[in-house]
Amino acid sequence: MPEQPRPEDIIERLLAEQRLSRRGFLRKAGATGLTFSGAAAFLAACGGVEGTATKTTAETVAVDHPKVPITQLNFSNWPLYIDKSVIKSFEKEYGGKVKYTEEINDNQEFFGKVRQQLQQGQAIGRDIVVLTDYMATRWIRNDYLTPIDKKNVPNAQNLVEGLRAPNFDPSRQYSLPWQSGMTAIGYNPKRTGGKLSSINDIFDPKFKGRVTMLADPHDSASLMILADGKKTADATIDDVLAAIDRIDEENRKGQIRRFTGNDYTTDLAKGNVWISVAYSGDVIQLQADNPELEFLIPDEGAVLWSDNMLMPQKAAHPYAAETMMNYVYEPEIAAKIAAYVNYVTPVIGAQEELAKTDPETAENELIFPSDETRAKLNPYPTLSPEDENRMLEAMQKVTGA
Amino acid sequence: MSAVTRATRRRTVALGVWSGFALLYLFLPVFLIVAFSFNDPSGRFNFTWQGFTLDQWKDPFSVEGLGTAFRNSLEIAALSVVVSVILGTLVALALARYHFRGRSPLGLFLFLPLATPDVVMGASLLGLFLTMNVATGFATILIAHVMFNIAYVVVTVLARLQGMDAHLEEAAMDLGANEWTTFRLVTLPLIAPGVAAAAMLAFVLSIDDYIVTSFNAGTTSTFPLYIFGAARQGVPPQVNVLATALLFAVVLLMVGNVAYQRRLARRDAAA
Amino acid sequence: MARRALLTARRRRQLLPYAILVPGVAWLVVFFAIPVLNQVYVSLESGTIEQGYAFDWNWSSYGTALSDYQEQFLRSLFYAGTATVLALVIAFPLVYFVAFRGGRYKTVLLALIVLPLFMNFLMRTVAWQTILQDDGFVADTMRSLGILEEDGRLLATRTAVIAGLTYNFLPFMALPIYAALEGVDRRLIEAATDLYATRWQAFRRITVPLAMPGIVAGSLLTFIPALGDYVNASLLGSSRETMIGNVIQSKFLVLTDYPTAAALSFLLMLFIVVLVAIYIRVLGRRSLFEAAAA
Repeated sequence: MPEQPRPEDIIERLLAEQRLSRRGFLRKAGATGLTFSGAAAFLAACGGVEGTATKTTAETVAVDHPKVPITQLNFSNWPLYIDKSVIKSFEKEYGGKVKYTEEINDNQEFFGKVRQQLQQGQAIGRDIVVLTDYMATRWIRNDYLTPIDKKNVPNAQNLVEGLRAPNFDPSRQYSLPWQSGMTAIGYNPKRTGGKLSSINDIFDPKFKGRVTMLADPHDSASLMILADGKKTADATIDDVLAAIDRIDEENRKGQIRRFTGNDYTTDLAKGNVWISVAYSGDVIQLQADNPELEFLIPDEGAVLWSDNMLMPQKAAHPYAAETMMNYVYEPEIAAKIAAYVNYVTPVIGAQEELAKTDPETAENELIFPSDETRAKLNPYPTLSPEDENRMLEAMQKVTGA
Repeated sequence: MSAVTRATRRRTVALGVWSGFALLYLFLPVFLIVAFSFNDPSGRFNFTWQGFTLDQWKDPFSVEGLGTAFRNSLEIAALSVVVSVILGTLVALALARYHFRGRSPLGLFLFLPLATPDVVMGASLLGLFLTMNVATGFATILIAHVMFNIAYVVVTVLARLQGMDAHLEEAAMDLGANEWTTFRLVTLPLIAPGVAAAAMLAFVLSIDDYIVTSFNAGTTSTFPLYIFGAARQGVPPQVNVLATALLFAVVLLMVGNVAYQRRLARRDAAA
Repeated sequence: MARRALLTARRRRQLLPYAILVPGVAWLVVFFAIPVLNQVYVSLESGTIEQGYAFDWNWSSYGTALSDYQEQFLRSLFYAGTATVLALVIAFPLVYFVAFRGGRYKTVLLALIVLPLFMNFLMRTVAWQTILQDDGFVADTMRSLGILEEDGRLLATRTAVIAGLTYNFLPFMALPIYAALEGVDRRLIEAATDLYATRWQAFRRITVPLAMPGIVAGSLLTFIPALGDYVNASLLGSSRETMIGNVIQSKFLVLTDYPTAAALSFLLMLFIVVLVAIYIRVLGRRSLFEAAAA
């Protein structure tokens, strides 16, 4: 906790003097020379935001979101992550209007946008946001979320076994996976002169300048840890930093052409680059234009991540949000989404549903991985906030920005 | 032909060739974007040419969210141009024609938005809105756009004002016109090209802005926000269509303007 | 009479400049100055996004900014400077041609220079990715001409980033120079040649100095945004070409390290202001905002 002697004294005195509304409090705080940053820090110090305490894993929070007519739902998601007809059919079945905004392009970036409101305990104007595991972890830990009323989401029982009790949300009280995805190697066997099998293959000097890696260390460092024969689930911060050192080395050698976000797709499609650390869904889409491309799940394994549906604090339409969550967990609907998005669906029964209408896609290992494949998939390493920061900083030094 | 004329002619040709290449350089990406609006990609990505089609043009708003984003951008651009041109022109007038205390520091202050990186402007403005509990959205985007546009308008109009002969205004006032009449009948017509240029610049800056907007948009979508989001996953050809359409609209406006000027000139000549 | 109207003509003329200034300046003060000053405040804080930030005169962010990111600062300077010079070299003959030899087509040509600006800049930069791709027309030609090595590439190099910067800001260089050249009184040049100056001397001694305000303005409108740019480096460069804008952006948005980001931003702004002051003093007889005319 940061040291806050002076502001605390002042504000305690203010609060003692009178009952202040939140707005009045902030105005007074402003008048006493504290800026919003100071106020936020104070709130943090006062336990409004707890930095280091972990949520007690076993407790289930009692929550009740009674059924109300659905008028509005504010749903924020990543781009191209839903079949829009699903929204329309939801509106038709339940009424109301869904405001679907594809504003999430990066977990950290989105968090930065809404951070101040979250820390001040305010609503952020969204009922559902979809964030990757490590960011969901942070929001749960800091109490930024509204718990889910499971009574309104009976279809949650369709969640695949492996995702039912993650360590950041053991009873799935706050989160429900939207889609999962794999991070591994996307490449063009024709250009590389043959198939690859190991993560370490990408560092073959033959491919100098023809390799891209994801700038997100969650993905890239994890692959390096796996390449070293270790498991990411057991990885410590030292393992992570060592992995980043290795990436740095290869980068200095010129092996890695550049570090990318989702834009490795351009380079891979155009042949500028032969090998990319890539996401499974992207590669499937690329294959539509260029069937030569392949997605490799290496011998050492690959990463399976999930993007989770979350209800931010003070969400205005929790019942509507839960109804949506329940809706997309119907196997039929999940199948539709999977067919469009091409990522790994977390819903049991979706594959069978899809087989009825689109058997080819239902067979795709990358969308419906077999148990054998699933055994090779690993989660991101779990790190404390300080360690996560160290990882991000270390990677930033490597990528130059 | 004299030696001088020959040399001049050679120079003109050389300059012309250089200019041709320079213009080609400027337009090469534009041609590409226009061309790819007619592409027929089978997948999500619009990188490789796969066939000509008019389908994208027939249905440019079929991509969900693109239409709303585009409309928002146009509305915001139009509004921010109007506000910033008015406010900015007034400031430029004050700077150019009046001596008042604080003129030089004001000049420096007005220059600062031009020197500030977009990231700083966007993030700090968001901080302000959050402190004041203002919900981010259409209005806050508009506020931000007017903010950075004012500075550009001032610079542009000021350049025009400085280049124009101030004596004309003095003469008008000597002849009994007050400030407002002078401004309306003398200054404004003379600086009109500068104001038009400023308006154009403000429009471009607004409709193209990404960074500042992304901080202050809330859940509102604009065209650049849409493109940046889509670019990571694959920009659909419909985006090319809309971008091209916008360009054509501007071309039509310019052509229309020229034709209008010509008609005015002819009418004045005939009168 | 003592009870004259408060606003005599004289008083009105005194107050007028302030009156018309107020709306515009107020807007900038509220929505630019105050937020940015707050950033200076933020730069002196310490803390993390999880724990919150505390103001404690923490100057270490500035120290970190200067020491860790020297490379990016200098690189940005070099790229922006090169792009500005290149833009000047490309734009000046173009604009000279339009202003002095354009004739009837002046408006059309000017419109053509401006037109690309109306195409979204991100899309134009992405288009350059296609144009400069490894097995594209440009790269192939350069390889066959020997300018590029056999396994060389154009993208993810310094060349691509500088080319992108030059391209994006070319119209901003061209327009002010055009405005200045357009205002040059042709008769001055005629007079010079009448007095036995060669065309080159006339150009050097008359045209260039008169165009100088435009050159100054154009250079600034190119250099400054180029210095803070990050899009070109991000799309056309690699980790070896990152600019200070990329660092600021990632510090703000990805690492959410606000104190360092704010420190970097402030340093960048300071740097620009100082540089511009020197530049104008050396090159411009009148500063950008001094009244000219009379």
